[in-house]
Amino acid sequence: MFQKQTLAEKREQRWAYLMIAPTILGLLILNYYPLLDTVRLSFSKTQTFGKSTFAGLENYITMFSSVEFWKATWNTVWFCILTVPVGMAIALLVALLLNAKVRFKSGFRAIYFLPMVVAPAAVSMVWRWMFNGQYGIINTLLGREINWLTNPATALLACAIVAIWSSVGYDAVLLLSGLQNISRTYYEAAEIDGAGKIRQFFSITLPMISPTLFVTLIMRMMASLKVYDLIYMMIDTANPVLPDVQSLMYLFYREAFVAGNKGYAAAICMWTILLIGIVTIVQFIGQKKWVNYDV
Amino acid sequence: MKSEKSLQRSMQLNKVLTYFFLILGAVIMIFPFVWMLLTSLKTLAESMQVPPTILPANPVFENFTYAITSLPFFNLYMNTILLILFRVICAVVFSSMAGYAFAKLNFRFKGFLFGLILVQMMMPSQIFIIPQYQMLAKLSLTNSIFALVFPGLVSAFGTFFLRQSYMGIPKEIGEAAYLDGCNQWQTFTKVMAPLTGTSVAALTVFTAVFAYGDLMWPLVVNTDITMMTLSSGLATLKGQFTTNYPVLMAGSLLAMIPMLILYLIFQKQFVEGISMTGGK
Amino acid sequence: MKIFSRVVAAMMSAVLALSLAACGGSSAAKSGVITMQIWDTAQRDGMQAIADAYHEKNPDVTVEIQVTSWDEYWTKLEAAATSNTLPDVFWMHTNYILQYADNGMLADLSNLYDSESTTYYTDHFSDISLSNAQGSDGKIYGVPKDKDTVGLVYNKEMFDQAGVAYPDETWTWDNLVSASQTIYEKTGKYGYMAYADDQLGYWNFVYQNGGYILNDDKTAAGFDQKATIDAMKFYIGLQSYDWCPDQKYFAETAPGNAFFSGQGAMYLEGNWNLMSLMKNYPEMQGKWDVAVLPACPNPESGDGRATISNGLSYATSAKNANNETVLDFLRFLGSEEGQRIQGESGVAIPAYEGLENTWVSAFDQFDYKLNVSVFTEMFDYSVQSVNDKSRPNWKSKITDELLKIYSGAVDIDTGLANMNQIINDAIAQANG
Repeated sequence: MFQKQTLAEKREQRWAYLMIAPTILGLLILNYYPLLDTVRLSFSKTQTFGKSTFAGLENYITMFSSVEFWKATWNTVWFCILTVPVGMAIALLVALLLNAKVRFKSGFRAIYFLPMVVAPAAVSMVWRWMFNGQYGIINTLLGREINWLTNPATALLACAIVAIWSSVGYDAVLLLSGLQNISRTYYEAAEIDGAGKIRQFFSITLPMISPTLFVTLIMRMMASLKVYDLIYMMIDTANPVLPDVQSLMYLFYREAFVAGNKGYAAAICMWTILLIGIVTIVQFIGQKKWVNYDV
Repeated sequence: MKSEKSLQRSMQLNKVLTYFFLILGAVIMIFPFVWMLLTSLKTLAESMQVPPTILPANPVFENFTYAITSLPFFNLYMNTILLILFRVICAVVFSSMAGYAFAKLNFRFKGFLFGLILVQMMMPSQIFIIPQYQMLAKLSLTNSIFALVFPGLVSAFGTFFLRQSYMGIPKEIGEAAYLDGCNQWQTFTKVMAPLTGTSVAALTVFTAVFAYGDLMWPLVVNTDITMMTLSSGLATLKGQFTTNYPVLMAGSLLAMIPMLILYLIFQKQFVEGISMTGGK
Repeated sequence: MKIFSRVVAAMMSAVLALSLAACGGSSAAKSGVITMQIWDTAQRDGMQAIADAYHEKNPDVTVEIQVTSWDEYWTKLEAAATSNTLPDVFWMHTNYILQYADNGMLADLSNLYDSESTTYYTDHFSDISLSNAQGSDGKIYGVPKDKDTVGLVYNKEMFDQAGVAYPDETWTWDNLVSASQTIYEKTGKYGYMAYADDQLGYWNFVYQNGGYILNDDKTAAGFDQKATIDAMKFYIGLQSYDWCPDQKYFAETAPGNAFFSGQGAMYLEGNWNLMSLMKNYPEMQGKWDVAVLPACPNPESGDGRATISNGLSYATSAKNANNETVLDFLRFLGSEEGQRIQGESGVAIPAYEGLENTWVSAFDQFDYKLNVSVFTEMFDYSVQSVNDKSRPNWKSKITDELLKIYSGAVDIDTGLANMNQIINDAIAQANG
């Protein structure tokens, strides 16, 4: 079983437990207790005010046979596809541009990071206003009449644009800190070897920031699979397009808090966690192929 | 000679392209704010004119009056700042400790415990709202700053993020400190933690942004408008003025101003901090 | 490096101080302090005035008003009810009262005024007001707070421009359509803006036509009744006219905003919003007015008149059934004085009969005299707002289905049949 620990190892272990204690205790109380409750609820038939009876797999069966649920799953995945790759590519480009030798660097930086200081509620309000099909400035600038937020074909796209706009600066901060950790000597050596900019990017920059890129990617992925606030603020419940854009967590919110189906909502939540778990595990396995840790 | 010239030309082209993209991006980033300002100075009727006017015909300031009389902005500013401050302190202190332990120390059940951290990150925060509210209600702690901070007392993401950062610090540094007679705590506080400056700075920003953006929790846990944050205050304004965008835009601008000032002050140090610690 | 540990120490003590400071936060349990939770910011001042008046009479009791927005109010109230931490006094809405009352969450207030008069409720409140405050068992679970009606708001300037006479009590649905058509032709502005809403929309038309959403004993939905179906088809069909924006428009622009920005000539509004509309759009004062709802010209049954009347009530949790401090404040809320103060705030019509004019005269403060008395006149034929204990479960689903009809995802007959099914299923589930 366990190997006998030396005194030094025991002391190290004691320190370790002390140092992780606040975090682990906090997580158990704040997050794991609610999670267990969600698991229990997902197997229960719930009524108002916390009353519930065991219902076996009923919620899951209802869920898997619901069109609305599969649509929400697809919407969530589609939103993730729309935002993550494009968002990451733009963020990397911004970080690279900001890392280059340019004038007014700090000015540009300040501008790109600007959405971070604005409450997301304000961000979604101004974009919702700009996307307005009747009075919106975007249609005026484009000279078109597109019902961005009320047409099923464009509504989620509009939400994705807002998501990317507000997270680009955020992701670029992370990537920029990674870029600035790359020693100039690598590039100097490469230049002596006659490597072009593009070569340098693929053989130095990308591998060197891959750990940062990985963290950013994981973070962004999880956030986009959990998306709720943004869609909630952009598409209200009087919008006929809602079933075409609602994400899993939006559906969860409506079932749990509006319609009072806590058990069914809990099942949706378990599915979302599973989905995120699978995507994350795939990412962690995949990272071995491209993330470079031995710097 | 020739290749020198073409090299110069391609450098020039590079520069032009760099500036082109930077400026294009900057315009896209800034435009919504410009539009926010312009809309806030229009009457409702003018804002809904077809085709829209770009500049307000007669700038009006009533929208700001409505926003100010509808929301107690001073309280919202203070609550938001306190919320951010305490969430950042908690996240940085507790996550540094845990992140260091997970990265550098050996202990039993390490894999399992780290798994708890990772799995938490996959959980959508909505499932915590009701149980956490009930905990606070039972303790009669709703309607307080503590209630706002409560869900962010510890940070799984912070722990994961700083663990990555401690992983990047060579083992030898810790061993050297240990040989110098430091115990684990001293090694951590005096040697290792100061080396994670960049990541701590980044974590500070992220925690602040998360806390700032948290919409639903403040609305649920704090009933009183004077105990809300800017985000939830704006949501309340939206509830009141539905789609009266000039007022909503005025409110958004007012909500932005102090954060913007703080950011512009903080930004310089933040960027410098990154470049200084980034040199390795 | 020493600095870092000092910083950490300082941070730790700050965290500690924070958690201690939080203990000083407000709590519901303090003696002499009553918490009252409401959801309408516009009524905060009115409620505060009542609280102040009560404090003056009872200096040892202070009432603390807490305002939350509508959605979060119910999320939180349910969580509080589940964990037995309900506020001392809170507003109840007809959407939810049966759910709360029938599940034993609310204190039975039937005998609240027995020391004064055993017929206090029936003496001073209308049948509709009382049924809005009753549980399924017929007992009173809330002190009636207010009562409301829905009326027609119209833009005088647009009517003048188009040469159409202002709406009055002779108007029928036909006038609504023809006036809208003329205004659209003459001014290019929208006419009557009919959007997907129940209380401020189709419910009124259904009841005017003699139809119903729920039958009298609340055991079945009425979307399979001819009168209901015809009225729904008329109401939903309004959006197919050029003069009415479609539901996509309303998803982005609230009808009130469209009206007050001069985009449309008419929409339905509840009396509780009038005061804020007068205050929030000072430049529009004098350019708009209010009228009774147009009647149905050829109703299936009845005289074609109806307006939905809802009413809120003040409730307390079952555990406060014998808490004299809270009960005494509730008694004050339902007293002539408490109701009069509410009326004078101009936001809500007191439920207490005979005090309707306190609300009407609150509008005397404005130069332009809005014809607000039409809202109190409509009580003569008002219909109680639709509710049953499963309403919280079917409300959002009905909206979803209605939106599908509007977007064309289902045809109207199928959609109405689905709506009928949704409600009947919810009723069956709530009873089983």
